[in-house]
Amino acid sequence: MHTFYNFVSGPLAWVAFILFFGGSIYRIASMLKLVAEKERFIFSYMSWRYSLRSILHWIIPFATVNWRRQPVLTVVTFTFHLCLLATPIFLLSHVVLWDEAFNVSWWTLPDAVADVMTIIVILGAVYFLVRRVTQPEVKFVTSASDFVILTIVAAPFITGFLAYHQWLSYPLMMCLHVLAGDILLAAMPFTRLSHMLFSPFTRAYMGSEFGKVRHARDW
Amino acid sequence: MKTVTRIALSLAIGIVLAITSAWSQDDMTIVDNAAFDNPQRTPSVFVHDAHNEAAGIDDCAECHHVYEDGKRLEDESSEDQSCSECHDLKGSGGQPSLIKAFHTSCKGCHQAQKKGPIMCGECHIK
Ligand code: HEC
Ligand code: HEC
Ligand code: HEC
Ligand code: HEC
Ligand code: HEM
Repeated sequence: MHTFYNFVSGPLAWVAFILFFGGSIYRIASMLKLVAEKERFIFSYMSWRYSLRSILHWIIPFATVNWRRQPVLTVVTFTFHLCLLATPIFLLSHVVLWDEAFNVSWWTLPDAVADVMTIIVILGAVYFLVRRVTQPEVKFVTSASDFVILTIVAAPFITGFLAYHQWLSYPLMMCLHVLAGDILLAAMPFTRLSHMLFSPFTRAYMGSEFGKVRHARDW
Repeated sequence: MKTVTRIALSLAIGIVLAITSAWSQDDMTIVDNAAFDNPQRTPSVFVHDAHNEAAGIDDCAECHHVYEDGKRLEDESSEDQSCSECHDLKGSGGQPSLIKAFHTSCKGCHQAQKKGPIMCGECHIK
């Protein structure tokens, strides 16, 4: 088990992080290249002012009509995404490992707080799953890959939670956790999870087109 | 009847507590985490004498070291001092922070020897 742990938290983690950062840069660069080749005119009306105005509205809960229309979804989405991003970055265990490996460290969440945030992510994933299965308008646009993506995202949190509490077999859970984390990192740029990279661009484009061309709001 | 039981029970608990705390003074079974403010984990298991016997470590300075000008002194040891007397919570220069001093010392040897725990929960057992 220790050999496997050292493998998934060593060489495989290197591969995962390289795929994550390299893949992210590659995806953004090729998207910009494609726009430049196919629809260069878009650049002519891109505007920082309208871009940032749109992004700002959409990252504030209830600041858009769409957010207000679906209050429950809005609350779940915002807390889910916040906890999803903040928990692994500010987790004590993770920072301890960064410190040991690269001599870098930063502020950390108390373990009890991180534990609650983990539960929020897991419950959020359950909510999205139920919504996909039960809501006709969501079911209509759902494919098998949506369930795969949801599993990839939830897995590090479920296994991390079980490992932290030392429920079931601890060494096994720890190995599965790191493996699940590596898979999530590697998958982010290459699956629909890449909305993490592209949503600011989408919003900037929509904001600019609505603001500068149609003279309307996009929120 | 009730009061008798109560007195007997508290006596029994008192005796057990007295004995166990006496034990832990003789035989170190965990590494005390009092030097950390607001510890987040359970203290690490470490049955001092049994551990060192099983691991075959004869030189106390393997852990209780003394440094001078960045060099470890061969024939001196510091078992009369806690690690926290030299390693503060922040760390400075070549001297690791207290948490890192422990982790590097314990995990480092376990990794090098491919024996002994390396995952958080194997030492910080709930
Ligand atoms: C594998 C590492 C290791 C080795 C080898 C080791 N110790 Fe320790 N010892 C520790 C740690 C860790 C502590 C706890 C220090 C602290 O709390 O700051 C400790 C504490 C002590 C204490 C304080 C006891 C107490 O109950 O608080 C004494 C005395 C001691 N060691 C003596 C020795 C002697 C003598 C040897 C050699 C025969 C030795 N140690 C070898 C790790 C080691
Ligand atoms: C008398 C002071 C002193 C005590 C007590 C002490 N250390 Fe150190 N330690 C130092 C100094 C000084 C250095 C920095 C060495 C250098 O400059 O490279 C150091 C370095 C280290 C390092 C990094 C270098 C290495 O050996 O791998 C570790 C790990 C470490 N200490 C662990 C411990 C542990 C664990 C204890 C308690 C069992 C302890 N130290 C007790 C002074 C001390
Ligand atoms: C110089 C090497 C060395 C250092 C330093 C060391 N260990 Fe170990 N440790 C070992 C070896 C070797 C084993 C496996 C022993 C066996 O074969 O059972 C072991 C086993 C263990 C075990 C499992 C067996 C047991 O005794 O319960 C624990 C827990 C442990 N170490 C904790 C610690 C902690 C905590 C520290 C730091 C304070 C530490 N070790 C420092 C070499 C070391
Ligand atoms: C080989 C045993 C060992 C392993 C493995 C280990 N630790 Fe520790 N850790 C210790 C010892 C010894 C201390 C010193 C104080 C104590 O006993 O808690 C310590 C202290 C700490 C502290 C500071 C005290 C506290 O409770 O806030 C934290 C935090 C911590 N460890 C987290 C971790 C995390 C996270 C991991 C896994 C990435 C980990 N440890 C792996 C032995 C270990
Ligand atoms: C993006 C990927 C990852 C995510 C989302 C993630 C998330 C989490 C979560 C939610 C926890 C549990 C927190 C709690 O319940 O309190 C956790 C614990 C942990 N994670 Fe990760 N993690 C990821 C990748 C990794 C990787 C790659 C490693 C190791 C190299 C790792 C090592 C650990 C460790 C050691 C713990 C603590 C377990 C314990 O306390 O025993 N994680 N992680």
